[in-house]
Amino acid sequence: MIEVRDVHKSFVRPVLRGVSLRVPEGCIYALIGPGAAGKSVLLKLIAGLLKPEQGSILIKGEELGKKTDLELAKLREGMGMLFQNYALFQMSVADNIAFPLRRAKTHSEEEIRERVRERLERVALPGREDQDPATMSGGQKKRVGVARATVAKPPIVLYDEPTAGLDPVTSQKIYDLVREEQRREGATVMVISSDVSGVLSIADRVGMLHEGRLIFDGTADEARVSEEPAVKQFVHGLVDGPL
Amino acid sequence: MDRRDDLSSGAPRRVSVNERHAEYIEGRARLGSASLAEEGPSSDLNHARMSETSPFASDEAGFLAEFRQALKELVGVLRLGRQTLYYIMNGTREPGDIAEQMFAIGNRSMPFMVVTMAFIGAIIAYQTALQSSRLVPDLSMMGATFIKLLIRDLAASVGALPLATRVGAGIAAEIGSMVVTEQVDALRMSNADPVDYLVVPRFVASIIMGTVVLLIGGFVAFASGMFVANVAFDVNPHTFMNLSLITSGDLILGFLKCLTYGGAIALVSAQRGLSTFGGSEGVGRSTTEAVVGSCFSIIVLNLVISSIGYVVFPAL
Repeated sequence: MIEVRDVHKSFVRPVLRGVSLRVPEGCIYALIGPGAAGKSVLLKLIAGLLKPEQGSILIKGEELGKKTDLELAKLREGMGMLFQNYALFQMSVADNIAFPLRRAKTHSEEEIRERVRERLERVALPGREDQDPATMSGGQKKRVGVARATVAKPPIVLYDEPTAGLDPVTSQKIYDLVREEQRREGATVMVISSDVSGVLSIADRVGMLHEGRLIFDGTADEARVSEEPAVKQFVHGLVDGPL
Repeated sequence: MDRRDDLSSGAPRRVSVNERHAEYIEGRARLGSASLAEEGPSSDLNHARMSETSPFASDEAGFLAEFRQALKELVGVLRLGRQTLYYIMNGTREPGDIAEQMFAIGNRSMPFMVVTMAFIGAIIAYQTALQSSRLVPDLSMMGATFIKLLIRDLAASVGALPLATRVGAGIAAEIGSMVVTEQVDALRMSNADPVDYLVVPRFVASIIMGTVVLLIGGFVAFASGMFVANVAFDVNPHTFMNLSLITSGDLILGFLKCLTYGGAIALVSAQRGLSTFGGSEGVGRSTTEAVVGSCFSIIVLNLVISSIGYVVFPAL
């Protein structure tokens, strides 16, 4: 479903140095790693928001690098994304959630209203249609972001640090929500997070990025018992180690 | 010391022009400008190495990097202009989006522009009369010359500079904030191209309301000039309001400048906003660059349009 082949990306310094991974269809793939490891850059490369300098990214067998901007926009219709900084627009909660559907022009206004109401119930924010997102807490904004990312029922959903800055209880609720949504819709999900224990609780597969390289790719259980020093240190939160 | 060693050590260091350029490329890469992104850090590292050979080489490399960046800015604005025209024809308009921008650009700029142009008109009229009276005691043609100058050039060109500070800063800050808070990426993920959703309404609104504001500003400058001429130099308003020198060419030229400046302010500022990187500091930097770039573009466009105008519509 998602395939990354030997991807390199640099800005001032190299960020990704030959990353290859494969996310099977209908799987929750957690990408973990310390700060500045290149996780968000990889997610934006997969979303087609950035372009790799070398290597290729395939979504359902279609290579992103060969697509024009308009073709990329078409491909993104099959993706939803939750952003680390919420990225909610300066409009009501309902308008934020309805935004992708309104732009797609595939649903009537009545259908959109019903879909927004259903999404808000799913993220435990019923009746908040008219609220200004600026007046919401961080956890509530994340949930609105989840509702917007999933409102079009896309086959691929990308979550960039869905629990950053949230308390442990709210974090677990967000992870449970991600898991439930994936179970209901059968989407292929990529979650990047620094919150290892939370994200491992929902992940089918885990990859770890360190210094721009994928140093681990396996199941959540394999990650927990990995003897790779950097993986072991990061997963178990040890002070001593290569990180 | 090898540049790469310096980068990898993570030690505090001075950020060079080349690195700022690389950061700029990152910002452009977020826009999906692969051609810019592909030129990437390797060439910047080469420039950085050149800058370590001697202070003169450093200045030269810095100047070349700045010059190259200025050319890329120009290419970026032209590319954005092409995309904007494409989406004007093929884009998806939200109800009221252009009207909302017209209010922000026009109505909210009006008090500032009226006051500014009143002072500018008064100053120009006073200085014109003062200097003319030293040469020729007859000020009967002062109004005719003043009006011709306003219509042909000053109302648009002088008025566009304060307009650029007000409108350009607003557009760059608004779009720049959306970039650094990932809202522009969220637009892309929501089937909305940022050029279509953000730039087109501002571009159209800026052309329409920029022209309206500049025309009103020109009228205010005329009124204040007439008032000053009457009070300070005893020029009769009927004598001042002399339209005998105005030609259709003057009207066309003045109107064309209003339209062009409105579009240029929106495009330059939107391009700076979309290229924003580096958080709130980056928004501030983009806003400053938008104002500088807009003012510069107005002056260059004035030269170009006036030059063409003096050939096509020679001033009498």
